[in-house]
Amino acid sequence: MACSTNTLNTPWHRYALVAELARRLESKSPWFGKTALQKLVYILQELFGVDCGYRFELYTHGPFTSQLLADLDLAESFGAVRVNYGEIPGGYAGYKIAAAEKNDAIRAKGAAFIEQYRDAIDDMVEEFGDLPTKDLELRATIIYADRDARRSGNSFTREEFIGLVKKIKPRFSESNISEALSELEKHDHVIQRC
Amino acid sequence: MSSFYIRDPIHGFIEFDDWEKEIIDHWVFQRLRRIRQLGWTDMVYPGGAHTRFEHSVGVMHLATLMFENIVQRRKDFLRSELNYTDVGLERERVLVRIASLLHDTGHPPFSHAGEGLMPENSDTGESYTHEDYSAAVVSLLQDVIEDHPKNKNHKISAREVTDFLNGKPSAGGSLLWRQLLVSQLDADRADYLLRDSHHIGVAYGRYDLARLLSTLTITIDPDTEAPVLAVESGGWHAAEAFILARYMMFTQVYFHKTRRAYDRHITETMRNLLEAEQTSQGVHSGCFPPPTERANLRDYLNWTDWKVLGLLQQGAGGEHGRIIRERKHYRRVYETPEVAEEPELEFAEYVCQSLGTLVGFVDNPEQSWYKFEREDIPVVRIPKVGAAASTYLSRLSTVVNGLKSVNQVRIHVSEENRKEAEEKVESLRKERKEV
Repeated sequence: MACSTNTLNTPWHRYALVAELARRLESKSPWFGKTALQKLVYILQELFGVDCGYRFELYTHGPFTSQLLADLDLAESFGAVRVNYGEIPGGYAGYKIAAAEKNDAIRAKGAAFIEQYRDAIDDMVEEFGDLPTKDLELRATIIYADRDARRSGNSFTREEFIGLVKKIKPRFSESNISEALSELEKHDHVIQRC
Repeated sequence: MSSFYIRDPIHGFIEFDDWEKEIIDHWVFQRLRRIRQLGWTDMVYPGGAHTRFEHSVGVMHLATLMFENIVQRRKDFLRSELNYTDVGLERERVLVRIASLLHDTGHPPFSHAGEGLMPENSDTGESYTHEDYSAAVVSLLQDVIEDHPKNKNHKISAREVTDFLNGKPSAGGSLLWRQLLVSQLDADRADYLLRDSHHIGVAYGRYDLARLLSTLTITIDPDTEAPVLAVESGGWHAAEAFILARYMMFTQVYFHKTRRAYDRHITETMRNLLEAEQTSQGVHSGCFPPPTERANLRDYLNWTDWKVLGLLQQGAGGEHGRIIRERKHYRRVYETPEVAEEPELEFAEYVCQSLGTLVGFVDNPEQSWYKFEREDIPVVRIPKVGAAASTYLSRLSTVVNGLKSVNQVRIHVSEENRKEAEEKVESLRKERKEV
């Protein structure tokens, strides 16, 4: 999103989005942590056309942008969300995001943006909101690889594409990847490969 | 095997082989001698006149040390969990070295100051970055990379180097090692913090490199099952110092008010120069040419600090060129705290609106390549027997946990408007106090 350099351009819409997702997902998501936030916002931007202006890069842990982490940090300091450390089901610990006392006030500052994309946010939360972090990460990586292949004009067979994702995510089996890919294909989120 | 050495002010003698020497000798790499690392920072810290050339060699050296330290301590893990062989690891080492060496070849004149003049990529709708240019520039070194006899065993292609730098899915398993170049613990930061501190004469960017290197490791993130860069538990204080060094360098150097004013002036100067070039060549409306074809890349690489300084000396560059020549930079008349709360940002917005046309430019870290965004580093305890246990640096360090992302806003005005703007800001402050 281009910014004028003679105005403040405070990205209230992005803080409002973080606040909105915290409010909706704290009870729906099995663990709404920092990684889940990254993958859900990536999916929201890439699949549901919500123009957040984030520039995601691919890491071994899937699409990620440090800008979103900074926005979460600022949303926390504005009192829109709180980020607490706790035990994750599965025997390890991590950060969990929840709505905080000024959640409504910060969402109100980005109300036009949230309203503009209300249907998209509804659909994303409905389809992806209850997935565990690992599943979100795999799906986000598949979507990233699909978009990159399309932009670059690289054509892969389905088997080759699964092999590509497997190289990035060596701890997932081919059948896990194939299953996640099928789901995304079913909803036309990625192109069908033969 | 022939070895060559560069004496580096930070790391001592840096060794490279004849293949890497050919890359270093290539005009694309030599151009980095004419791109200053910190733009016009020498207007604040006169020692800050070092170039991207020495930084790039330093990053290759540090990335190699990081890689070798990790492999030495985690070879069993890399073999058993990620199926690496010795040959595969050696190939990754060579790829990391070449990519690190070339990672900054796409910088515009005066480093990040020129980044605001990169055109939009029509495929993504986002502006190109210097990383995009660096990745594209690698194609100009295709023969040097691919045809060297040392590459017979590795068969590394220029395309692979590009994909590594761009973080493309086709980089596959090498994305793990890309974290040595692009992550919160990367060799790029590890080098520039020490190097910039050394040259400008401050201690803010220093940290315990030796300890950090000796505790750098790879672990599996339990949240995502992804292999990630981490620090062993014995090194978390070194990681803490590294984060603090970034914070101090950001607030004291990279986001210094005068340095940022000169970033703005050089950006506008170059915009003016590019517009003038459009008149003579009929291309590029105030932006650099996109990195989409070789001819564009050659045009782009023709832009260096030398070219801009030569044009500036001849009186070109418009109003901002004049400001640079006369050292009459824009002045800060208002700023929020480093971590601004909602009412402070609202008041800054009010000040900005009230000043109206007096405003020269508004600055915030989001518009700067250098940011201080709160990040975290995985810390892992690896027992001799049994499973590794991970946590985050922010859980161990109250100092890191207390750091916040910086969102400071500053309003700058021209020297001519300074007095009027300062009076106006003062009266707005009084008005606020009364309310």
